[in-house]
Amino acid sequence: MDQSNEQIGSASVSGSFEAKPMNIAATLAICSGGWLVPGLAHVLIGRWIRGLIFAACVLLMFALGLAMHGKLYELEFDQPLHLFAFIANIGTGAPYWIASRLGLGIGTMTWPSYDYGTTYLWVCGLLNYLIVLDAFDIAQGRKP
Amino acid sequence: MIFSHFTALVVFALIVSTVFALITKSEPREQFRYGVFVFFSFLAVAFVVGWIMYPLPL
Repeated sequence: MDQSNEQIGSASVSGSFEAKPMNIAATLAICSGGWLVPGLAHVLIGRWIRGLIFAACVLLMFALGLAMHGKLYELEFDQPLHLFAFIANIGTGAPYWIASRLGLGIGTMTWPSYDYGTTYLWVCGLLNYLIVLDAFDIAQGRKP
Repeated sequence: MIFSHFTALVVFALIVSTVFALITKSEPREQFRYGVFVFFSFLAVAFVVGWIMYPLPL
């Protein structure tokens, strides 16, 4: 892991950041891992603490969304607008597929916190997209 | 699990502000300050929008 840190970049004596981008294939592999398992991309590039905090945030939000009887959307071509909800939902990665397999995320519209739960499920997926993009920028040496 | 509106808002703001702070800032001090700013901004905007909507016949 230290080696990958060294590959990515290091702070110079003057304090400016010297970026050494990883090759694009490795970056994409890391980002794919980060999409499937929230926070994994940052862990793989050596940002342990940041990765664990991201993982905790996304997974907590996902769990709370399910606990509040939110709905996980599936790909339905007869309802085109549901595509956006589906794209937001699959941003969570593996937890989405696992929850779907377990029959969770059906969504109980009569439940008082249904709307909040559904929003939580959307937003945790969208946050994970941002987290993956952050990992991409770090791996490409665009930010420290 | 049933959260009150306010609790759901606070938890939402807390998680989102944490992620935003870590993504946008690199120094721990800056991250903390920006995270606190975003968190209270979420709450403030929710209160303001709530009061604006209060007289509306919805």
